[in-house]
Amino acid sequence: MMGPIKRICALALALIALGGCGQSGQQAADTPAGETAFVLGDISFSSEHEEYGVDPHVGYSGWACIRYGVGETLFRYTDGMEPEPWLASSYRLVDSCTWEITLREGITFSSGRALDGQAVKECLEHLLQVHDRARGDLKIASIAAQGQTVTITTTQPHAALLSYLGDPYCCIVDLQAAPGEGLAVGTGPYIARAVEQDRQLELERNPHYWDGQPGYDRVTVLSVPDGDTLAMALQAGEVDAAYGIPYASYPLFQNENYVISSTPTSRAFFATLNLRSPLLQDPALRQAIALGIDKERFVEELLGGNGYPAAGPFPAGFTAGGPAPQAPAYDPQAAQALLEQAGWVDADGDGVREKDGQRLTLRWLTYTSRAELPLLAQAAQASLGQLGFEVVIDTTSNTQGVLSDPSAWEIYGSAMVTAPTGDPAYFFAAHCLDSSPANSGGYHSDRLEHLAAQLAAAFDPQERAALAGQMQQLLLEDGAFVFCSHLQMSLIAQADVAGLAAHPSDFYEITAALAPVS
Amino acid sequence: MRKNPLLRHPWGLWIPLALAAALLAVVVLAGQLAPYDPNAQIFPVLSAPSPAHPAGTDQLGRDLLSRILVGLRTSLISTLVLVAAISLTGAAVGVACGWRGGWVDGLLMGISDLFLAFPGLVFALAIAALLGGGLQNAVLALAVVGWPKYARLARSQTLSLKQAGFLDAARLAGDTGWQMVRRHILPGIAGPVLVTALLDLGTMLMELAGLSFLGLGARPPAAELGSMMSGGRSLLQTHPWVILGPGAAIFLAVAVLNLLGDAVRDRLDPQNPADETGDIPNG
Repeated sequence: MMGPIKRICALALALIALGGCGQSGQQAADTPAGETAFVLGDISFSSEHEEYGVDPHVGYSGWACIRYGVGETLFRYTDGMEPEPWLASSYRLVDSCTWEITLREGITFSSGRALDGQAVKECLEHLLQVHDRARGDLKIASIAAQGQTVTITTTQPHAALLSYLGDPYCCIVDLQAAPGEGLAVGTGPYIARAVEQDRQLELERNPHYWDGQPGYDRVTVLSVPDGDTLAMALQAGEVDAAYGIPYASYPLFQNENYVISSTPTSRAFFATLNLRSPLLQDPALRQAIALGIDKERFVEELLGGNGYPAAGPFPAGFTAGGPAPQAPAYDPQAAQALLEQAGWVDADGDGVREKDGQRLTLRWLTYTSRAELPLLAQAAQASLGQLGFEVVIDTTSNTQGVLSDPSAWEIYGSAMVTAPTGDPAYFFAAHCLDSSPANSGGYHSDRLEHLAAQLAAAFDPQERAALAGQMQQLLLEDGAFVFCSHLQMSLIAQADVAGLAAHPSDFYEITAALAPVS
Repeated sequence: MRKNPLLRHPWGLWIPLALAAALLAVVVLAGQLAPYDPNAQIFPVLSAPSPAHPAGTDQLGRDLLSRILVGLRTSLISTLVLVAAISLTGAAVGVACGWRGGWVDGLLMGISDLFLAFPGLVFALAIAALLGGGLQNAVLALAVVGWPKYARLARSQTLSLKQAGFLDAARLAGDTGWQMVRRHILPGIAGPVLVTALLDLGTMLMELAGLSFLGLGARPPAAELGSMMSGGRSLLQTHPWVILGPGAAIFLAVAVLNLLGDAVRDRLDPQNPADETGDIPNG
């Protein structure tokens, strides 16, 4: 006969079993019979990356809008990162400041409204009102609409306008619709139904999509900020595909159960030097830092070969960025000599140099959602430590908060896409100019401002590339940044998923081609 | 309740003491025992254990055995400092409350209750996050939440001893309050506080490692067992030695400290005689 303890154990086990059944039942109920569902886990869909939802007019949410198949832009990028018409069918440069863009016929938003010039005008005008970065990039003076034609006049000659019209913030959304906070009504293959910031996004097939039949009835995008958790979720089958798996976990997926789609991108690991820090106003120190970081080792050993050593902001082969700049190679002896000349010596023999009683301490700020960034910080800590620097690593998810206080850091290690629009002006406009929203290091150069103005007005691709090359070189000569590597981006999916392909822009993920393997 | 059969043996105290001494030797000699500089990134990354690197190397090309030895030293010294701080502080507060009574007792025990009302580790996490991470701050955070347990214990022991007849005799003999506390109360509570502190060592070592694992403890490049496990988390399936080495070190250290605590408790507890059967009377 069962004792009371055994009875309690049996009851507990039964309850656990019933609970498990309930959970499975709930999951099954989420996907009605006959419907196909797809779950994507993504490390970047989070407020840490300013992706609060899919409304392209808020922060970097446009990336989510375009990545997850909700919105589309007038122009998109080819595999070679050249802009080509997408919602547009053609364009014409009327004069140096006027562009006439003709829209495709027969496209509707998921709300049912037809895509026409008026809808595009409303969307872009609202974008210019609320989005500082877009306003600075696009330089639009006025927009006129007539039928399927949109005429854009810029405040100055703007050769890169078409590239910027492909930026995710330019997703064309129906402003007359009211989908709810964080949502948007676009023309893409999927309709955003619900979003919970930092948690998940629910999508449904757009039955009226203009460019083919979307492959899944429902799509869920889960925000998984930890790469290791994401890798385990993919292994457990809790997600069908993943973006942002740490390179160290790749061997787990290099088998017949998974499909890996990889492509080189312009995403770069780079260090921004805080020029408002009294310490880093010394050019010799900045040059010594650049000479003291071993990029080759970082790429070969720490990234496991999943990247390429960087000279400047743009990857090799990005012809629009001009000739690769001459970057200082790893040279610890030269770095030490520079430090000695600048008066930094280790007088007390503790391994850290001093000058006028000040220790040579650098605070290296970084974040963990790119799993390799803390490795870069530690590798730099070791190599700079051999030169007599003391590097204190501050790893936080609140990087924006720390960056806003110039006295709180010296170096910011980040991973950013440097040419997502296929145009070199993007990086300089975003990170290096007086007007740049992400010029967190406070870099200023009269010459760079002048070159940027020239670049904005130059229509000839060769002239643009030459200017971009000069600008890259200037950044390195001023020691404002240290570019360490460019990354190979990968999407990893279960073997029963087809049509998920990595794109060099890093933002076309969920498309109509995504479908279960039949 | 039965005692640990290992501890029933006449050698039951000496074996844990010998193991603890070995642990202490590792702490003292870690610098000499480590075959390489624990922070030197000079070896091939993620090498499997081999004669040259018995515990392998990590993702930055550092020798793991060297880091484990130095990390063990860091973890154990931090734990010892932490437990010493909370046991001494808690005991002092408890004796003051028990001896003085009145508003002092009410105020300090009220504060103690306030701390005990929160889940300890969660509260420590919040404090460490507020202080900004780092091993010193992690120790401070755990100390803030750890002392009330000792205060409660010391207070109850003090209240019990206050009723003892020998204190009346001491009072008649002309002892002052401080003399009575020093000669009679402190020796009386020392045993229970010491036993509790020894049993707490393992727990605190794990909690400290836990904070480091969550990024609120030791900062790079410091070798500390919790942060080493955190750094190797993504390598558990592909390069398991990176996380298993520090994990095994934590396991062994905690096991030794717990055995020591058990053995000392059995020796010092007057209600826990090491009889033939090992059973506690009326237990």
